[in-house]
Amino acid sequence: MTDLKNPDNHFSGANKYVLDSELASIVNISMALEMPLLLKGEPGTGKTMLAYAISESLGMPLIVLNVKSSMKLIEALYQYDTLTRLNDSRFGDSTRDVSNIEEYIKMGKIGQAFAAEKRVVLLIDEIDKADTDFQDDMLDVLDQMQFDIIETDKVVTAKQRPVMIITSNAKKDLSDPFLGRCNFHHIAFPDPKMMRKIISVHFPEIDKKLAEGAIDAFFTLRNIEGIEKKPATRELINWIRALDADPDFHAKDIIKGKIPYLGVLFKKSPDYQRAKDTASRRSIF
Amino acid sequence: MFIRFFYTLKEVGIPVTPTSFLTLQKALQKDLILSIDDFYTCARSILIKSERYFDLYDQVFAFYFEGIPLPENDGFEVDEIAQAMLDEWLKNPKQLADALGVNESELKKLTPEELIEYFKERLKDQKGQHHGGKKWIGTGGTSPVGHSGHHPGGMRVGGESRNKSAVKVANERRYKDYSTTGPLTEANMGEALKRLRNMVPVGPKDKINIDETIKETMRNGGEIELLFDRSLKDRLKIVLVIDNGGWSMDPYISMVQTLFDYSKSQFKEIKTYFFHNTIYDYVWEDPARHRKPYKVDDFLKVDPDTRFIVVGDASMAPYELMAQDGSIHMSERSGKPSLERLKFINETFPNSVWLNPVSERMWGYTHSIMAISQIFSMYELSLDGLEKAVETLMKKN
Repeated sequence: MTDLKNPDNHFSGANKYVLDSELASIVNISMALEMPLLLKGEPGTGKTMLAYAISESLGMPLIVLNVKSSMKLIEALYQYDTLTRLNDSRFGDSTRDVSNIEEYIKMGKIGQAFAAEKRVVLLIDEIDKADTDFQDDMLDVLDQMQFDIIETDKVVTAKQRPVMIITSNAKKDLSDPFLGRCNFHHIAFPDPKMMRKIISVHFPEIDKKLAEGAIDAFFTLRNIEGIEKKPATRELINWIRALDADPDFHAKDIIKGKIPYLGVLFKKSPDYQRAKDTASRRSIF
Repeated sequence: MFIRFFYTLKEVGIPVTPTSFLTLQKALQKDLILSIDDFYTCARSILIKSERYFDLYDQVFAFYFEGIPLPENDGFEVDEIAQAMLDEWLKNPKQLADALGVNESELKKLTPEELIEYFKERLKDQKGQHHGGKKWIGTGGTSPVGHSGHHPGGMRVGGESRNKSAVKVANERRYKDYSTTGPLTEANMGEALKRLRNMVPVGPKDKINIDETIKETMRNGGEIELLFDRSLKDRLKIVLVIDNGGWSMDPYISMVQTLFDYSKSQFKEIKTYFFHNTIYDYVWEDPARHRKPYKVDDFLKVDPDTRFIVVGDASMAPYELMAQDGSIHMSERSGKPSLERLKFINETFPNSVWLNPVSERMWGYTHSIMAISQIFSMYELSLDGLEKAVETLMKKN
């Protein structure tokens, strides 16, 4: 069992990641119970970043599995490279031993995490993208922490249970047996207070007025009715970077309702138009 | 420990499992939980698997640890009933006015908002259950409103309904026996899914067929010949438009959505919209049909190869379909009758079907069903109907 008192195994935030205490205790308990942690929440609430932060602060290597829609679980475990072997057997000019199948087995991301000598952080990003088969197949692997390589009849067992972070953007719930094996947390969108902290972590030197104005404007713009893709933390950070880099821009412009670079915040044209209309209407008053 | 807490969670309707409860015990035993704050976050992350239940969890937590009584959900139900009464009023003002025992012309002076308020007041007047009396909603009485009563022109509130266009069922939704009401049920969902699989895959030839490759390579005398199959990726786009307006549609909405959700990976894209009774100028992306309107005209921008599937009982008053301002919602009256709108959609999407949960035998009795089935290929929402619908959707033009 992981010892919580040992500071090496206790997660308490990282360099560029602002952690609320609730999430910290959930991460710690998941590590202690050795259960995967399933994270849901709006895009841009830092689900993926959390895994990076854990890996950074605990000094564990990070392995990222980006789930794709057509992905089968086997690809995440290992791949038997038949084509290369076929090719090698034909030309015989490679350094590999064609009669040794193992030379053609490549570990997938989950396989790498299991085979690693050190405990690693395994991030399974956007699991909802794959179909339900993927999740169901993964149950066994999660339970046993091992899988078979059919071609060589070998069993790969996890040397160390990886710290598993799974993210999902889906509105739809994942399958019940899958959920049963995870701990769950929903990251709410940061409130303005939290956002100020996040911004000050990312821009320690920034002009207070500029940050304040930008955050205010950001939350106002987010609340416009009918916006399809709301700007998230990532957009705000990029936006502030843009504002900061522009020598012609002054913090008091925002208060006057002059909001440049809306395209950084709004990526869909109807959203952009709507935000622009609202912004210009504000400046009249 | 905390067994009563666990059962309270279960009672309020949160799906909690014994396994997760045991996990919580494990966490408690390992001294991982040292304070009530720890308990709050840890128990939540272990027991609750969806943010939809976070609010309920909070309420139960407050109830269990601080004795704050669990709120009753009266407000919501009164709203729903009042809304149903408004719908009723718009369809048949006289009947409802009679039922309430007030003058029709008096009610006519009120705006829809005022009407809703008025209905709510009336509903709140009635405290507790009311059975066998003469006055208001209850069961077995002679009152015109209620169920299992005798009044000939009565409006039903709760109970079973047959003639769905005139009746609003507004009682104990959770205990409705879904499995017996619909032709398509949860039990044969698997079968229904198989029907959808017939929406044949088309994809690029990018998957190597090893058996064929070996065979061809052998035939070639060892010269490698690579053969590819089409990958099993369906590129169909689906637009699903669901009538979630009336109570009559209630049991089918979640079923249809689950059906398509489960087969999601098979399609390239599924968009779901909602409407009430029939389609006018807008459909909505949010089930409440309030925040995210989508212009019907904008369907022109969608790939015409998209399969367009409407799910609805198509049962409504004829004027809603034919009249130029047929919509019961003021804001969507643009002067085009709904019938024209439906024709427009059908022309925009050559592959479109209408799935109707109403049994096919009954279609002849409802005028609006007949009218709509002349525009859309209409099929019953049953296994057979689904199969035929898929056939139509996959037809080459």
